[in-house]
Amino acid sequence: MIRVNNLTYSYEKGRSTALKGLDLHIGEGEYIAVIGPNGCGKTTLIRHFNALLIPSAGEVRVDEFSTRDSKSLLEIRRRVGMAFQNADNQIVGMSVEEDVAFGPGNLGLPAVEVRQRVDQALAMVGLTGMRTRPPHTLSGGQKQLLALAGLLAMEPKIIVLDEPTASLDPEGKKKVLTLLQKLNRQGMGIIHVTHSMDEASLAQRVLVMDQGELIADGRPDDILSRVEWLKSLGLAPPHITELMWHLQQGGEDVSTSIFTTAAAVEEITALLVRLRSSTNAYLPRKADGDV
Amino acid sequence: MLICPERRMEMYKLGQYIYLESPVHRLDPRVKLIAVIALSIIILHVNFVGLIVASAVALAISLFACLSLGLVLKTLRPVLPFFFCLFLLYIFFTPGRPLPPFPIGPLQISYEGLNFGMLQVWKFLLLVVAASIMTMTTTQSEITMGLERLLRPIRFTGISSHDIAMLVSLALRFMPTLLDEMNNISQAQLARGANFNPRTISGKIRAIAYLAVPLAVNIFRRCDELVDAMEARGYQQGHRTYLRELVLSRSDYCLIAAIIVLVVVVVV
Repeated sequence: MIRVNNLTYSYEKGRSTALKGLDLHIGEGEYIAVIGPNGCGKTTLIRHFNALLIPSAGEVRVDEFSTRDSKSLLEIRRRVGMAFQNADNQIVGMSVEEDVAFGPGNLGLPAVEVRQRVDQALAMVGLTGMRTRPPHTLSGGQKQLLALAGLLAMEPKIIVLDEPTASLDPEGKKKVLTLLQKLNRQGMGIIHVTHSMDEASLAQRVLVMDQGELIADGRPDDILSRVEWLKSLGLAPPHITELMWHLQQGGEDVSTSIFTTAAAVEEITALLVRLRSSTNAYLPRKADGDV
Repeated sequence: MLICPERRMEMYKLGQYIYLESPVHRLDPRVKLIAVIALSIIILHVNFVGLIVASAVALAISLFACLSLGLVLKTLRPVLPFFFCLFLLYIFFTPGRPLPPFPIGPLQISYEGLNFGMLQVWKFLLLVVAASIMTMTTTQSEITMGLERLLRPIRFTGISSHDIAMLVSLALRFMPTLLDEMNNISQAQLARGANFNPRTISGKIRAIAYLAVPLAVNIFRRCDELVDAMEARGYQQGHRTYLRELVLSRSDYCLIAAIIVLVVVVVV
């Protein structure tokens, strides 16, 4: 789907490079989280995926189209949808439905089809009841959902999101994350840049970036469980993983590949059962008459 | 007999769109735009009698639009001081036969001035009323779309009417956002001890700078992000389509024809 070959990029000629020779292949329908400290180049990288930035050296291809070829720009942007952190600055329409219609309108679709796609996209994110509201009356979470609806109306193969939950309340975060998982189950590819390791743990694949380089690429179990290594990069592992890590450091036999409370409860219960049975083995069984 | 739907009593912002079902609301926005432009041309060429007829027509239209007279006249309130000053200029500075008990010293009011001043101010007020009726019966997006369609013939100049429509709709879209932002900035400045009601002129200028500079910086930052977002969603110069297509009905065509005939009759 997206193929990155030896991608190098610097914002100004001769200045330090923001990306240093990245190689990456992203398949169809993958759910990928991109993590890394501030200034590591995550945003720069994803901006190459839909030709907002053109490589200084190397190449980015979306399906058979190179992002260097300005003729295939619209085709690339139709396939790769992109949303940014501040939803407010992405909304261009004077009403919710008009904003969603912006993308399909840019594709030059006839009004009937624009209407159909707008209705579909709004139903998918659950904003159908607000179709005629002016965007500035929406809450932060609703604005982010609207931005997502605007992408979905373009019917992309993959959506790229730059910290979409950064300024949302827990309720809004949950809605956005649930929607992402639902979309992925329907076959849509998702690339999610985030600072939250809890959110990264929802992905099937995690990319870790540092100083313009891709330093790790693997399953969340492998990457997010490396607590000390994440800390050395200035990243905070999920709290629950850190708890397990502390238990492990204390000499307990537990795994650190744990990212949800439910999994932690299971692991700790198992640990307690093991402890109880081993303690029972050492202590003499209480006799009925003993007080 | 025209039956107007009952409207809940709400505070409307002056000139803001009021959602109602009326023949005027249903008109194609292009017809309404043409009508307002036509009216401004006609007004330049009429005398008192013509002006009374035009005012009566405006009144009739506002009735058809189910807008109460009070609601329409209220939109005049913010412009009244300005037009009052204009009126004073006309009556004091138009030469002609003095109206007794003038002249008092250098001050003089002439018959001609009074006459002319009233006529001019009435014309301007009527224009404001006409524009208000349009904005109260047409949504902003309808106006933008109407504008886009009306401007399509300017394609030969190399300017795309789609770009102009985008420009207008972005301005309207971000107006409330920027107002919010201005409030935030002024509160942040107040919290840090800024004085927005200074007595001296230099203090007043400084107070404006406290607001304007951060606001301008924020606008530029927003623009950068907006451009990226628009490009990412496939915005390009040239043709695009919309959620709704404007279709002129037969009665719309008749109205446009009638308006054009009227303009020609009055002007020639």
